[in-house]
Parts: sequence; structure tokens; C-alpha cells
Amino acid sequence: MRQSVKEKLARMSTDEQILLRPLVETSRGFYVVTALLAAITLWGMIAYYLQVTYGLGRTGLNRPEYWGIYIICFVFFIGISHAGTLISAILRVSKAEWRRSITRSAELITVLVIGFGAIQPIIDLGRPDRVLNVLLHAQLRSPLLWDVTSIGLYFISCTIYLYIPMLPDLAIIRDSGIKSPRLYRFLAAGYRDTPAQRARLERVIGVLSIIVIPIAVSVHTVIGWIFAMTLRPMWHSTIFGPYFVMGAIYSGIAAILVAMVVLRRAFGLQQYFKDIHFDYLGRLLLLFSLLWFYFTFAEYLTAFYGGEPGEMRAFWSKLTGPFAIPFWTMVLGCFIIPLSLMSRRSMRTPRGTLIAGIAVMIGMWLERFNIVVPTSVNPRWEIESIGRYLPSWVELSIMAATFSGFILLYMLATKFIPIVSIWEIKEGREHSVREVADRVAEYLPENA
Amino acid sequence: MSPSRRDFLWTMGAAAATVALKGTQDVFWSSEELADPGWAPGIEDRRNSACLICPSRCGIRSRQVDGRLVRIDGNPLHPLSRGGLCPRGVAGVQMLYHPERLDAPLVRNGPRGSGQWERVTREQAIARIAERLGGLREAGRPEALALLAGYSAGTMQDLWRQFLASFGSPNYVADEYDDGTEAVMALMHGIPRRPSYDLDRARLVLSFGAPLFESWWSPLQAFVAFANPDDEGDGGPRYIQVDTRFSRTAARTHEWVGVRPGTHAVLALGIAYVLIRDELFDAGFVARHVAGFEDFVDEQGQPREGYRSLVMRNYRTEEVSAITGVPVARITALARAIAANRPAVAVCGTDVTLAPNGLLAGLAVHSINVLMGSVNRPGGVLFGEDAPITALGSPVLDEIARQGVSRQPIGVSPSPFASGGQALRFAEIVARSEAPVDTLLLYYANPIASSTHPSVWRETLDKIPFLVSFSPFLDETSEYADVILPDLLPYERWQDAPAPVSYPYPVWGVARPLVEPHEGATHTGDAVLALARSLGGSLAESLPYESFEGLLEERAKGLYAVRRGMTLGGHFERTHHRQMEERGWWLPEHTGFEAFWEELVERGGWTDLFYDHTDPHRLARTDSGRIELMPAALLRVLDQAESVGALYLDIESEATGERPEDHELRLLPYRVSTLASGTLALERWLAEQPGIFPDVLWHPWIEVAPETAGTLGLGDGTDVWVVSPRGRYRARLKVSPGTAPETACAPYGLRHPDGQIANPLQLLDGSSDPLTGLPSWSSTFIRLERA
Amino acid sequence: MARWGMVIDLDRCTGCAACEVACKSENNIAPVSAGEADMGRATSWMKVMAQVEGEFPDTTMHFYPRPCMHCDNPPCIRVCPVQATYINDEGVVGQIYSRCIGCRYCANACPYMVKYFNWYGPEWAQSERNHLNPDVSVRPAGVIEKCTFCHHRLQKAREDARAEERELREEDYQPACADICPTGAIVFGDLDDPSHRVYSLKEDPRALRIMEDLGTQPKVYYLRPRE
Repeated sequence: MRQSVKEKLARMSTDEQILLRPLVETSRGFYVVTALLAAITLWGMIAYYLQVTYGLGRTGLNRPEYWGIYIICFVFFIGISHAGTLISAILRVSKAEWRRSITRSAELITVLVIGFGAIQPIIDLGRPDRVLNVLLHAQLRSPLLWDVTSIGLYFISCTIYLYIPMLPDLAIIRDSGIKSPRLYRFLAAGYRDTPAQRARLERVIGVLSIIVIPIAVSVHTVIGWIFAMTLRPMWHSTIFGPYFVMGAIYSGIAAILVAMVVLRRAFGLQQYFKDIHFDYLGRLLLLFSLLWFYFTFAEYLTAFYGGEPGEMRAFWSKLTGPFAIPFWTMVLGCFIIPLSLMSRRSMRTPRGTLIAGIAVMIGMWLERFNIVVPTSVNPRWEIESIGRYLPSWVELSIMAATFSGFILLYMLATKFIPIVSIWEIKEGREHSVREVADRVAEYLPENA
Repeated sequence: MSPSRRDFLWTMGAAAATVALKGTQDVFWSSEELADPGWAPGIEDRRNSACLICPSRCGIRSRQVDGRLVRIDGNPLHPLSRGGLCPRGVAGVQMLYHPERLDAPLVRNGPRGSGQWERVTREQAIARIAERLGGLREAGRPEALALLAGYSAGTMQDLWRQFLASFGSPNYVADEYDDGTEAVMALMHGIPRRPSYDLDRARLVLSFGAPLFESWWSPLQAFVAFANPDDEGDGGPRYIQVDTRFSRTAARTHEWVGVRPGTHAVLALGIAYVLIRDELFDAGFVARHVAGFEDFVDEQGQPREGYRSLVMRNYRTEEVSAITGVPVARITALARAIAANRPAVAVCGTDVTLAPNGLLAGLAVHSINVLMGSVNRPGGVLFGEDAPITALGSPVLDEIARQGVSRQPIGVSPSPFASGGQALRFAEIVARSEAPVDTLLLYYANPIASSTHPSVWRETLDKIPFLVSFSPFLDETSEYADVILPDLLPYERWQDAPAPVSYPYPVWGVARPLVEPHEGATHTGDAVLALARSLGGSLAESLPYESFEGLLEERAKGLYAVRRGMTLGGHFERTHHRQMEERGWWLPEHTGFEAFWEELVERGGWTDLFYDHTDPHRLARTDSGRIELMPAALLRVLDQAESVGALYLDIESEATGERPEDHELRLLPYRVSTLASGTLALERWLAEQPGIFPDVLWHPWIEVAPETAGTLGLGDGTDVWVVSPRGRYRARLKVSPGTAPETACAPYGLRHPDGQIANPLQLLDGSSDPLTGLPSWSSTFIRLERA
Repeated sequence: MARWGMVIDLDRCTGCAACEVACKSENNIAPVSAGEADMGRATSWMKVMAQVEGEFPDTTMHFYPRPCMHCDNPPCIRVCPVQATYINDEGVVGQIYSRCIGCRYCANACPYMVKYFNWYGPEWAQSERNHLNPDVSVRPAGVIEKCTFCHHRLQKAREDARAEERELREEDYQPACADICPTGAIVFGDLDDPSHRVYSLKEDPRALRIMEDLGTQPKVYYLRPRE
């Protein structure tokens, strides 16, 4: 760190000092991890180059397994994207004060992960050169088109929703002079934090938080509908819309928890991501693990009870057949581990939530797998032979690159923006403590 | 952000985009690349011709665009195939344009098998062969020339025979697929000709192991009768298949009777028992035309049991049921069905005759036809005739030739009722150096791939100094050749295509060039004529034809002169002609031979759909003039050789030879579709649906019952070794519920994707029918090992 | 307006697969290598499926030649995001190869599994290109392809009929599979035209359609085997 920057930093408040330090100070470990992630990402890009050059034949996809890893990752990533926006929006709307230190990191996950999710179907295309046909020859009855619309809207609104609440922080960085003034002058877009500007900002954030919730819900509903609108066994289900939304939020919470543990450790943010945050989010995780079980049970019971032969083939292939391992691992990861850990207060710590969060992420990825693959390989017409699917190294490399690319960009972002919202912390200290006290006083009977 | 970093990113991005675009170009080529520049709609042509891929010789209709053969359909005028065609016929375009066809005559340039070849001109190659053959005649040993020929019925076969005879060689060695029925007919009827089956007019077809729908003489004949396209009503005959193997035929005929391996003939006599017991047989026919039904006194004056006594004593339904595994009620029902649906015809297949006692079993099966009077009657077994084309004339023999042809042909069977197996005996004799063969000509024969004894054939080929192959492809046997003069492919050449004997009426199809013949290939017929010219003398005199096409035209004059039959025509014309001829009428329709020939070629051939059912010569030509149920010649042989068996008694195909302890599965090889011996399966489209299993493609497989697979612990799709004491080969396990327990059904004629042959015949135990010399296909036991 | 359809008699079908090869030859369907075929990537617009029941010696087997069902209510066209698959006025479901983006949604939506994807570009040796049918375009890598009822034949038949100034007859337009079938098991024609054989055959008591309960209204009928 240059001396001048150090001096500038020293003149700032404690919050600012702690939260802006990562922007100007980079450890050796950071470089190592970045290089590693960049290498994996590059490797995946080479794999994709091969896929484009030779054709989708380079994947393990086949007939009837038309969709595989890419679509699984698509659903998974878009699911994760519900982490931020939805949670932060809901918490903002409901005036949950403990949200203040976690909104930024969550929203950032959202924006990046939508991008990485949205490119998955394009990677999956046989003719990526014709992707614009989706706009040129749009066929509005196709759920895929609903999806394009919905994800596009979601991406735009989330980016705005990330950016607008970041303005005061960008202004702080601009004014501090610790980073390139030209960049931050541009990014801060003339925000001066005048009372009028602040009031307008808060009004915009309030409106955005409300708009973004239905959009987020629609995104994953529509993804569920992509499957549900076909006549395939165990896809053609009315529950898929809400089931996918619930699953998305679930995996989103898990993703935030994992990110928070890592950030807290890497940047020493113990004061901002406190035990109470992990406790609260842990409770949320517990709630969703129960919800997940409820939905899954409802879904499988309906399929089982009907006993329709096509459905049953897919059903048994998951419960006892070739997909028993992914299926029961999913149950372990999505239900048993989070339920048993999060139902105990002593485990709703950073360590406990990290374990539960990772289990849920793996479980939710497998849930997507268990939706896409077993149905694909079990065609409805019983005289059709059962398919097989073994992902090729190309698919696995591209999946690895997607994960590493996401983490890489997230890490790089922490070098440009404070990962905890400085002004919201400040606002919490200056106004909200009193505001909450007033609010609570308001709830109480006045005849004391 | 510094400008340099930004530049770097831009450069990287631009580079990535360029690379991606280039890749896109490589993969997204499409029809534009295939079309020639300046492509315009082509000039189309359709021609009738004949398919030369299998013995069925169906009629085809081609579609050419700008001289390219783009499609093969059926010729609706052809009376046998009536516009239908099997997948092999349709896939012929892939054979014609196969990238691996030889594009020039080759002369071997290094040691055998080294794969070093020199390309030569046609004239050089013919001169090279002529030189060698001339030398043989000069040395006075013309019998050192031999020809190994696959199925080539028609003028090519006649031409080869004429050539060999006038050359002085008796060695026309047939490497054909033989079903042994010729010997059955010779013994019972005194007519040495394979039977024809009038499937079209039968009401019930009872097939004993005949692969009617897959690799019979003509699957199309069976298909057409099955579908009965000319019948307005509900359809053709009822087909019943008696078969151990759950074949395509077993799967799709109206009824499948699954019998234990080798017990087909026992079931036949069980049915005969019911027919006699319940007096359901045609007693009048038997009384008028059949000898040996009742007990009789033989030539030596010994009293003998007749057919009735033998059957009634030995084939009570309970016993037959115990042997065959077919319930008593079913046996009775079959007999009643035969009696109720007359005319009924029993078809004898290779599963019956390719067995250690195949001839006896074949006689037992055919005896049902005799009992039911289904011989020489509409809907029964008929004795058809060949098309009356002009004969080639007797060969002119000079002194050398006379001496040569008087010698014993190599490999003629010592068996009393020889029917086949000459090729293998030839190979064994030559391999043992007991008969010096100097030159062997290979015409549509690839014994290294198709034989039961490839190793013997390798030795044989090593013993023969000069090998000439006429194969259009470099097959396994041709790799040993000294000279390869590749034949034209079908669709490029003139050839006559007589319908197989199984069809009751003479059909003389004509295949003609549909596309410009390949420059590097030579019509073998023309090559033979050129050789004869070049050798001169008696050969040139015996074969005075300019070209093979001219020879065919010459032979068609016989058809023009015979004053019956018709050039191929549609349903109306066929019916009209038949009805006219039945009433003794025939009208000339052509102004002269030229017009007749032109129309014959235009329509794809000639046929005569009239069969004279009143001709007694088509019933029996035995000394007694009756059908012999107890043929004296056979009884003599059986009396002398005790071990061979007894007529109508030893007809079950038992396992013979050594059976190692752990070899528990009986091997049942079968031909997947009609593969003329020695040809390659070249068409990739066919590899995508070779059998009856939609999920089995490309790889040779072996079928076992689910129970067997369970016991062995092998799952569907496992690669296994099929092992017998004689050898092993690799195949993929197919669990098939229709397969009989303790059997393994192995397709024959397939190759692995890398071109390796998967030949179950090389595992056979080597036993054969001592009466006919035919190999036994169903008496070998194997085991399976995980590969 | 014609409504083209097909009736396949399961009693007559012997599973010989002539229809399959005829279709491949007519429509320039490139064979794939053995390894690709093992992965389930072989393309067969017309595929002979088999249904086996029972064990030796009471096994029965029926072959179901399966082309595209050309549903009147096709699930595939609804899901296509770019209108690359469509149903025309005469009920033929087609695919626009030059527009398809290769998302394979239609392939997943089709309960009959009759949409095939080009995992690689077609591979023809130079000599093999001679037998390609000039009436049918070769599909590039990355797009879906499917049975068209040999629609190019209809266009030709129409032109011929117009040139000869007559109505289109049943025998003028037959797809390759129906044309070649040696047992006449595949019958093709206009389902609404009483003079066509399919008109009455589809009313046969044996007539059934695959997965009729899905409401896709296939125009390929099967005649159930008599027992």
C-alpha cells in the first residue's frame, strides 16, 4: 500500500477503514487464488472452443439425454441468484435491520451469477451463432422465450438494484481519493449525498425493492415451467413453478452463508458478519429445509400415488434405480444435514452454517440433476430403450470454469467496491437505532 | 485503469472472437459446401433392373440424377418382389459409392499379406493371368486351375463352367450356401432339384426352421405371400414357424412353436402321427402317388416297416411332447390346422438340414407334404424350371482339355447323397498337398471370412502359387491374391438375375448398367471372354462372344423363340398371361427379337407364370413313378452303415463330439440377412439396424435368455468372448427373452466396427452329416467369458 | 385441403427395416460411427421399434415402425423459441434447418422421441456424396431434424399433376417408407379423402394411436395386431 493511500485511509472512520482496506490492500494468497481460478476459467474456455469447433458431439449428451450439465448449471445458477436480490429486497421491505451488513455481498452474488447462469443455455445451443434468432423470430408461446424475457428483465433490474444503493459508497471512495478518481467520478455519477439526494435515493431503493421481488419470483417460476410445460414424466407438474422458486431461495441463502463465512475470514469482517447474522440466516435455512422437504414430498407422492407407468419408471430410477446415489445424497444435503445442524442453536455459528450451506449447495445442484437427467433417460414410450448419460470432460471443464469464473469475478469485485455497504452501516448507527426504538415504542400501549 | 491494460483486454477479446468465428466456420458447414458451384436441378432417369446382392434377385427400379445413382426402389413389374425390396437392396447405393472400392487392377508387389500392390492396367492384368494359364495348358496340367465361386446362378456360372471345361479343368468349386433340400427331393421324388414353394396360393405355411423373413432364398417371396397384395380379402396364408430360435420369422409369423434345439423333425413326425391317427391326411393322394407308406417287402425280399407303422409306433404325441417341449394339445392343434387349411405346405429350413442327421430330418419334414398331397399342386411344393434361355453349347475340347476334364474334381464329396461342403474339402485336400493346384480364381468367395475353417483356408492359400481375385473390394482372401482384377459393382454391369429355385416360376431378370462403369473395374464376364480370346484355340472357339452384354442378348433369343411367357408386366398383364396360358393360348407381342430384347431390358426381365400341375414328371421321376417315402437307395446305405441311423427314427440332432464340461450353451448360428457367401457387409446404413433389436447396432452380438445371463452374472451389453474348444471370438451380450434357455444364438456374417470378422461358424465342432457332407450348425456347445 | 397421414398395420410389419434404410437413402441421413451409435446418436427418422413380451417359448414380438407422428396438436412446435418447427396447412410438421438454434427443447417436448439432433456435421466420403438426393438438403451440425413425410415428393407430385392437368392421385405422393415396404404394411394418404385407403383404415376397429391420451392427435395410426 502506498504511503499516501495509507494516510488517506487513516483519516477516515473505523467503518470506512475496515471496509475500504480490501480495495487498496491485496494479500499474496489473493493473487494465488486468482491465478488458479483464471487458469481453470481459461481451461473451460478452451473446452468450449473445442465444442464450438467440432459440435455438441463433444459433450456426453445424446438421444434421449438431450439436456445435461449445462441445463443443470443453468437452473442451479439462476437459483443461486435469488440469494441476493430477493433476500435483500424482502429484508429491506420488511425493515429487518440486521440486513444492513449483508445486502451488498448478496446482491453482488445475484448479478454475477445471473450472468453465468444465463450463458449456460447459450453454451448448450447447437447453433450459438444463431442466438439472435430468439429475438428475430420470437415465438411467444415458447417457455424458453418467457425465460429469455424474464431473465433479461431480472438481470437489468438486479444490476440497477445493486448499483443504486452503491452510489453513496462510490461517492465515499471518490472523495477519499484512495482509488483512481476518474473511474469513481464516473461511477458515482455526481452523487454528493445531499439530504435531497439521499431522500431520493431511499425512495428509489424502496420502489426497486418492491419491483424486484415479483421479477425474481417470475424468473425461477418460468424456469420450472420450461420443464413443466413438456409432457414428460416427472416434469409435467403444476408444482414446478413454486417448487423451483423455493429451491432457488434455499440455495441462495446457502450461497450467501458460504460467501459470508469466506469474506469474514478473508477480510476480517467479524464485526460486520456477526454471530447474530449467522443465527438468523441459519434459522431461515432451517425453515427452507422444511419447506424443501414439504415440496419434494408433495411432488414425489403425487407422482407415486398416480402410478402412471411412464412416471413410475422415472420415479423408481431415482429412488432405487441407477440414480439412487444422487437422489439420496440430495436428500442428505438438502434435508437431513441442514435440518439436524440448523435446528440446534449451538450449530448456527459460522462453522455450522458453512457446513450446512455447502451441503445445501451440493444437494440443490443434485436436485437439478435429479430433475433433468432421470426424466430425460426414461422416455415415456416404454418400448423406447433407456438412455445413458456420462458427461464428457468438455462439459465438466465448462462447469468448473463457470464456478471458477464466478468466484474470480466476485473476488475481483471486492477490489473495486466495498463488500459491506458503508453508508447503510453508518445510517444504522446514526438513525436506525433511534428509529427502531421509536418504532418499538409506537407498538406499545401508551398508558405506561 | 491504465491504457495498456485496456489495450491488452481489447486485443485478447478480439483474438478470442476471431478464433471463435473461425471455429464456427469449420463446424457450421452445410449444404452449400456439398453443392457444386452453379448447381442446377439435375436430369432424372428411372430404369428397371435387378438386384444382385443376394440370391433372391429382386427387381429394382433406380433413380439417377445427372448420372448418379441416388436411389433404389423396387420394380413393381417383378412378379417375385412386386415393388418391395429388403433393406440390403435399398442400401445398394452405399455399396456402389463405397469409398473403399478398388479403383484399379492390382498386382502384388511384395510377400503375401504385406499389402504392397502395384496398380496396373486392365490389359496388363489380363495378360498376366493369361500368361499363367497358358503356361498351365502348355505344361499339360490344366486341372491345376481351380475356381472358387460364390452364388452366381445364371450366365456367369455357365460362362465359368464353359471356360473351365474348354480350358480343361474340372474344378468348379462352389462356395455356396446349401440347405440340403436337393438331396431330399432327389431321394423322395427322383428329382435332383431344390423344391419350389407355392407360398402365394398356400393357405398355411408351416416352416421348420426356415428363415423365411430374414435369410431364406428369397425373403421377398415370403413377404409378398405373407402380405398377399393381390388378394382383396384379409390376407395370405397363415404362417406357422417351428423354430428354436426366436428369429424375426418366429417373431412375426402368425404363430411360433418354440421347440427344443434339434427336435424340429420329431415334431414333424408327431404331427404326422396325429394326421394318420385321425385320418386327416390325403389318403387318396397317398394311395395313388406314394410308395413306402404301408409295410412292404424290400429288394432283398425282407419285410420292412412302412412309414405308417414307423410313425404310429414311435411318435405318439406324449413322447413327441416330451422330446420337443411342445404340449400335446398344441401338436394336435397343429395337425388339425394343417388339415383344415389346405393347401398347406411344410418348408424345410437349414436348422433342420444342417445337422448331423440333417438328411433324415429333412425327409421327415418333407413327408408331411407328401402325406397332405401338397406336391405339384397349387399351394404346395412344386418343381419349377429354369428360364429357357439359349444354352451356351457344348464346349469345344482339344486334347489337353479332354484329359483335364476327365480327371476327378478336387473335393467332390465321398458322401452318397452329396449336396454341399465341396469348398471345405477342396481346401483340406489342397492344404494337405494331395492335389497340386497352381492357380485359384476367386469369384465372389471370401472363405477366410465366411468359412467354418479359416485356418485351413490360410494354409490352402499358402499352398497355391497363383491366386487371382475378382473382388471389387480388398477382402480378407483377396489380401492373399497375386492379381486382383476388380469386378464392376452391381448397378454398373450387365448380368442376368434368375429368380431362386424357391420361386415356382421361371423369372429371368436382367441387371443393366445404371451408372457409368468405373474405369478401374472390369466386368468379370468380359474378363473371362478376353482371357478365352487371348488363350485362343478351343477356348476361343467355345466362347466366341464379343462382350458379356452380347452374350446375354444371345441367350435371350431362347426366350423369344420359346413362344410362351412374357416380359415383366403389372398385375393385370400377369393375370392375363397366366389365364391365357392355362387355356393353351399365347400370342406373340413383338415385331422381332430386337423389339423383344429392348422391352425385356426396359421392363427388367422375362417370366412365365404358368405351371403345369398335370405334368407327372413334376411329381416323381423315380423308377416306380411314385413318391418314395422309403427310398431304396437310402435304405441300402443305411443298412450297410449301422452307425448312420435309421430312416424316421434317428432324426433328433444330438450333440456330437467332445463337449467340455463347462460348455453349457448350445450355439445356434444364424444368418442375419441374406449374405451371399463371401461378400462384405459394407453399407453403414445396414449396421444401424442389423437384427430384430432396435438397440443393437454396429456390434456383433450373441443372444441368451435372461435366465442364462443371470446365472452367468453378465448384463445386457457386456462384451464377451464366445468360446468353444476350437476357438473364440468377441461379441456383445444381448439378453433376449425369446431365446431358449441353454442356447446362445449367434448372428453370422457380421463384422466389428473395425472390420474384424465375428464368425460363429469357426467355433463349430466340425461334425457333419455323413449322408450329405453338410456341416452341422447346431451341435456345438460354447461358454461365455467376460471380455 | 389434404390432411396427410399414415396407417401402419402391425400384423403385416415384419420388422425388416427396409423403410428405415429407404428413408435414410431418400433423406440423406448420414450414418454415424459405431462409437457415436453406442452413445445413442444414430439418426433414423423412421425407426423400427420392437415390443417383446413373455419368455421362451411364449414370446411375442411386435414391430412398431415409428416415423414422426405429425400430430395435429404437436407439442414440439409450441415450445420452439424461434418458430423453427411448424405445422403446415396440410398437417405436415416440418423443421426449418436454417433457423433452428439447436436448443433441443422440441426434442424434449416430443413424447414420441422423433426429433433428432445433429451432434456433429454429417460425414460423407467424397464418393458417397454421389448418392445424395438433390431434393433434400443436408443438415448442418447443431440443428434438429425430423421426418417430413417426404414432403419434397409432394411438391414434385403436385408439379407433375399440374403439368398433366389432372388431380393429384393417391399413388402420386407416397413417402419412401410406404413406397418400399415389401408387405404393404405402411399405407399413406389423405386422411380426409374418402378415396384414399387411409380414410377407411383409420376407422378400423384395430386402429390405435400411440399415447392418444396425451391429446397430441397424431396422424400416424397403427392397426393393432389380431391375437
